[in-house]
Amino acid sequence: MDIITFKNFSWKYSGYRGWTLHDINLSIAKGEFIGIIGKIGSGRTTFCSSMLGLIPHFYPGIMEGEIIIDGVNVEKSSISKLSSIVGLAFQSPSNQLTGAGTTIEEELAFGLQNLGVPYEEMHKRVSEMLKIIGLEKFRKRSPFELSGGQQQKVAIASVLIMNPKILVLDEPTSQLDPLGTEQVFDLVKKLSKKGITIIMSTNNIDYLSKFADRIILFDNEVVKVDTPKKILTDIELLKKHSLTHSVITDVSMKLKKYGLYHKDLIIDFDELKNVIKGMIK
Amino acid sequence: MSIVQAKDLYFEYSKGVSVLKNVNLSINKGEVVAIIGQNGSGKTTLVKHFNGLLRPTKGEVLINDEPSVKKTVAELSHICGYVFQNPDDQIFNSVVEEEVAFGPSNMGMKGIELKLRVDESLRTVGLYEKKKKHPLDLDLNQKKLVAIASIVAMNPELIILDEPTTGQDHAGLIMVEALINTLRKTHTVIIISHDMNLVARVSDRIIMMCSGEVIFDGLPKVAFTKNALMKKTYLKPPIITELAQSIKGFRRDILTVDEFMDELMLLRKKRK
Repeated sequence: MDIITFKNFSWKYSGYRGWTLHDINLSIAKGEFIGIIGKIGSGRTTFCSSMLGLIPHFYPGIMEGEIIIDGVNVEKSSISKLSSIVGLAFQSPSNQLTGAGTTIEEELAFGLQNLGVPYEEMHKRVSEMLKIIGLEKFRKRSPFELSGGQQQKVAIASVLIMNPKILVLDEPTSQLDPLGTEQVFDLVKKLSKKGITIIMSTNNIDYLSKFADRIILFDNEVVKVDTPKKILTDIELLKKHSLTHSVITDVSMKLKKYGLYHKDLIIDFDELKNVIKGMIK
Repeated sequence: MSIVQAKDLYFEYSKGVSVLKNVNLSINKGEVVAIIGQNGSGKTTLVKHFNGLLRPTKGEVLINDEPSVKKTVAELSHICGYVFQNPDDQIFNSVVEEEVAFGPSNMGMKGIELKLRVDESLRTVGLYEKKKKHPLDLDLNQKKLVAIASIVAMNPELIILDEPTTGQDHAGLIMVEALINTLRKTHTVIIISHDMNLVARVSDRIIMMCSGEVIFDGLPKVAFTKNALMKKTYLKPPIITELAQSIKGFRRDILTVDEFMDELMLLRKKRK
């Protein structure tokens, strides 16, 4: 069953020439993990914002076509209605953190309080979430005393705690340290397994290749939708849209050049490892 | 010869909570040093001591062998230029060349000398053609370059780049890496980064931090074999190093794809 549908959707911000997104047609099934890639200015953030209704309800501009989220027509609905279905984690935590709470636990509880969740339940969910993001120790600290990466985790957690059906993440790991990045991807994968639909915009293709069911390549339009392997090993396609391939794929290209390997280019770490092991046995 | 030294440096934002603990280090002129470590490990706090944005709670920082406390932020900024993580924290003028001119004109530079300095800095970062544009009309990659150019224009001996590749796409990453390789010919460079692939390719030396302490200071080749230390501060080696380390027989200190291929060929030759 499709939970997200875009039909001939186009968007132009008022005051800008040209469409930021043009003629988008997409169907995303419930429970899918979709990776979004594209260069800066390719419309990825706009795409992410559209599912929560920030477009057209918050930003002024011209919209064509329609977006249906879990049966709800975005244009005819509202941000508050959509936010019960879609959780959007922004790239920069300072756009997310409300500042309503003086401590991290209050920040996390903010959305739940607004929904009138009972205290016991709220306490339980906050504790769970703090454990998941590994910040239990900091529960009484102010979010603004945390480092950028820690803030990012709190920002993601403040969205997750609302139990959205669809979780949209816009470059969620760009400020995180390597293990923090891995933790966020692991967490998102776990949520994906629970049946939450994931839309994740990131240029961290090493992780996307491992986790995403499909990848959408944007360049102000949908250039291609396919499996991670198909898109991420299409060197010419990536280059044409100012993106690069993974180090893993790079090694497999070199192996081909050296005449040591003749099959498809590789994107998976373990697959490459095994191919190389076979070469030095 | 060292440009920056930290001696028994401690720093507390609020009383009793040390963000830096007993940091001892010395940065030599001409080096490209990467400071790495988990979010919140004190990297930014440390480098903000080098241009006087922060002052030690205990211990001292020497800049060109003189205690930093004896100098003002303005004086220190002539020696240590700090490029903010987020270009929007730094950029406020409405024309690119004015933005870049701000620092040197504050230092008293004017007329043709100022113009030449601005043009040269914009050429260094590859933005000369955009000098009449509004900084906010540039994309994020280019805004970062404006932020770097405006520091380069003050001609500091040391340039500190705080997370220079955050939020950049592939094109931006290539530009930043090329720029670091340009700057290293004339400047001492410190980069703070979570991008281990970049760090492995450009740095001469790595300083690893964890909970406000320096837990490693040495060559990248050595740093990325210290897996237990790295894990302690939420780091992972570059993916190519990780790949080499996962295959029996490979050297554990490989940093680039080329080195990896050389090692593979060597191992195949030995096998025959």
